Amino acid sequence: MKTINFVLSGLGGQGILFLTRVLAQCALDKGIPVLGAETHGMAQRGGSVVSHLRTGDVESSLVREGTAHFLLALEENEAYRNLAVLSEKGTLCVNASGNPFPKDSVRPYLEKMKIQSRALPVGKIALELNAPLAANSGLLGVFAALENTPFAKADIRATIARLSPKRFQDLNLKVFDACLEKTSAT
Amino acid sequence: MKEAFLLGNGAIALGLLEGGCQVVTSYPGTPSSEILPEVVRFVKSENLKTYTEWSTNEKVALDNAYAAAVSGKRAACCMKQVGLNVAADSLMSAAYMGTTGALVVVSCDDPGPHSSQTEQDTRLMARLAKVPVLDPSNPREAREMAKLALDLSQKFKIPVILRPGIRVCHARQNFSWESFSVGGKPAVFEKNPARWAATPRFRFLLHRELNEKLVQISKKFDRLRGVNEHNLTKNTKYPLGIVAGGVPYSVVKDLFTESRREDIPILKLGAPYPFPERLAKQFLRACKKVLVLEETDTVIEYFLRDRKKVLGRLSGHVPSEGELLPGVIARVINNVLEDLGIPPMAVSGNPEVQELVKNLNLPIRKPTLCPGCPHRASFFAIRKVQPKAIFTSDIGCYTLGLNLGGVDTCLDMGAGITMASGFYQAFAQDGVEQPIVATMGDSTFFHSGTAGLLNAVYNGARFILVLLDNDTTAMTGMQPTPALGIRADGSTGKAIPLERVVAGCGVDFIEVVDPYDIKAMTTLLKKAKAYVASPDGGIAVVIARHPCVIAYRDRAIPEKRPVTVTDDCDECGFCHQRFECPALYPDAEIGHTSVNKSICADCGVCTQICPKGAIVGA
Ligand code: SF4
Ligand code: SF4
Repeated sequence: MKTINFVLSGLGGQGILFLTRVLAQCALDKGIPVLGAETHGMAQRGGSVVSHLRTGDVESSLVREGTAHFLLALEENEAYRNLAVLSEKGTLCVNASGNPFPKDSVRPYLEKMKIQSRALPVGKIALELNAPLAANSGLLGVFAALENTPFAKADIRATIARLSPKRFQDLNLKVFDACLEKTSAT
Repeated sequence: MKEAFLLGNGAIALGLLEGGCQVVTSYPGTPSSEILPEVVRFVKSENLKTYTEWSTNEKVALDNAYAAAVSGKRAACCMKQVGLNVAADSLMSAAYMGTTGALVVVSCDDPGPHSSQTEQDTRLMARLAKVPVLDPSNPREAREMAKLALDLSQKFKIPVILRPGIRVCHARQNFSWESFSVGGKPAVFEKNPARWAATPRFRFLLHRELNEKLVQISKKFDRLRGVNEHNLTKNTKYPLGIVAGGVPYSVVKDLFTESRREDIPILKLGAPYPFPERLAKQFLRACKKVLVLEETDTVIEYFLRDRKKVLGRLSGHVPSEGELLPGVIARVINNVLEDLGIPPMAVSGNPEVQELVKNLNLPIRKPTLCPGCPHRASFFAIRKVQPKAIFTSDIGCYTLGLNLGGVDTCLDMGAGITMASGFYQAFAQDGVEQPIVATMGDSTFFHSGTAGLLNAVYNGARFILVLLDNDTTAMTGMQPTPALGIRADGSTGKAIPLERVVAGCGVDFIEVVDPYDIKAMTTLLKKAKAYVASPDGGIAVVIARHPCVIAYRDRAIPEKRPVTVTDDCDECGFCHQRFECPALYPDAEIGHTSVNKSICADCGVCTQICPKGAIVGA
């Protein structure tokens, strides 16, 4: 079974754990074993937070530098901070605030490593839809729009619906749909 | 069959219960905090009778579990590694006295450290106390080892430590299990003062008995398949072998699978103490050099006495502080391989990226108190009234009062008070009246505040103690406190108001205030300051009471008070530096401070702090 490594990054309070759970559940529903690592404690109070997720037959929970197939970042700086985890030909999905992404100084590296990146202002989109806490679902929309995602769009969507607390379910799906559509269009 | 995607701490809970654990006690602390709540979840879903409790501190937790373990029951207590320091007194003695049932001490380590004051290695504590220790490499193994620990403890009548690292506790893995029940014997305590109340003369005998147990267990650890084992091929000599335990073992295993290296044998030591001498000797004989990879200190390395053969921390090959992340382990192994003239592993990754990221000068993301956190208001008021004080503080979310200049010291649980009295005496001795303001959370106060407060009152210290009472143990994930009167399983217990405990410690000045009302809090602090300085003054305790905004969203802010920043703001930066609410930020677009609506809690507190009056109700 091929191992797929994900790294999810953001700031405490942005809902990284939810993002991780959705991806893990997508794998589990396909019968693929999952091992991941989460951040708890002090850093959850607004510090840099990283989750690792590995699907397949693995023993250790952390994704080593240069081996992540996907990096999903809820904030630009957190994407840059974790750049080293991405493998050659890896994929980066990022919530960009509106600044051009990637920075000029980073672009050559991404090109050289054949890393494809998708940036969308998912935070802004979520805010416009009156769902400031649903940026994480928005980023899943960006991820679902990729050609190389290991999970079907419908499965990701259904998993978000299943794992969302009732009062956030509709908002999460709305933001997911909007971001999926916007990414597919570009 | 049932299935779940469990946290490592959930896997430990499952293992303990499957192993027949009848009593589980704990004091929360990262990375151990979720074990007890997960036990409670299984107790409910599997309909078990296991007794659970949040104890007031780790020593209390250990003693309570120990009593069950000498009544023939199977018991466990769970804590973080520095919590075991608090329980160390009990552990050392319990090792001598032994058990009739089982006692497993789960002590979770935090290499890094991520959320602790030290990186100490619980295995060294096991060695000090002379009790066996198991070191799981991932959640799956933690579940098995929890059961094994209970069995070992019962068989040899000795406490056993399970030491998961943070990467086990906070890893998540998919699990399945069959329904189970927790049987076990009813409590029987057989009186035997020579053991259970042994005087020093009998302690010598108990010590001898303990040493004999360790010899037996060491032999068992030589043959503990799956836990302690190597993959040597008979009659083969190797230029290098790896000895690894715990999380580093799982990393090495994955590295070798990934890079298809079958030429380097591994000795796995998941049960490193009492040390499996014979097994280790076998391995060392077959290898010219061995590299030891263990977290966080040197335990295995000390036991492998051949310094010429053994590479690790003592030889400078392995970093002596920080977490052994997979990248670090890969580099260490490759350096050793190159040194020995063996082809290194092909590991992916581009070294230039580190430099690239470094040159981006990314902002360091400091953790901060949440928007709307009542502690922020408290620290602001404290700084306002006592700008020149020494601020002793303690362990919890409120340590982040650091960012507001309201925390000068944070030693360990309880030291907010004890260091305050210590500072007082150190200055008073020279005739100097040094103002001191101590801060401590409600849960920390119950954990280890009272002894220090009694001492301070008794010895005539003078300072202001602000108890930051937010009705919860917030930092570790909102566990209840004795003041709340809610027990681990959600049932109602007796609530013990902080005021009563403080009064019981002999304090005469006790007043309660809501810190959201900054004016009321500053007025009260001024009164407290006057009391401390008055001829027959002493310690003034101010209870700053307001619920945590994360634990009690609605109760904490019953009335939303949204705010906005007017053009009177001249971007003096006061609210960023001195009040530090993350929802207030300098907005380049409009040229002054703005409110980040997506994280603002609408607490309205900031309207009271802007010197220009520019933050107003929206
Ligand atoms: S969790 Fe509660 S106590 Fe902790 S910083 Fe946030 S609001 Fe304050
Ligand atoms: S109202 Fe003011 S203090 Fe309260 S969260 Fe919002 S910006 Fe921060």
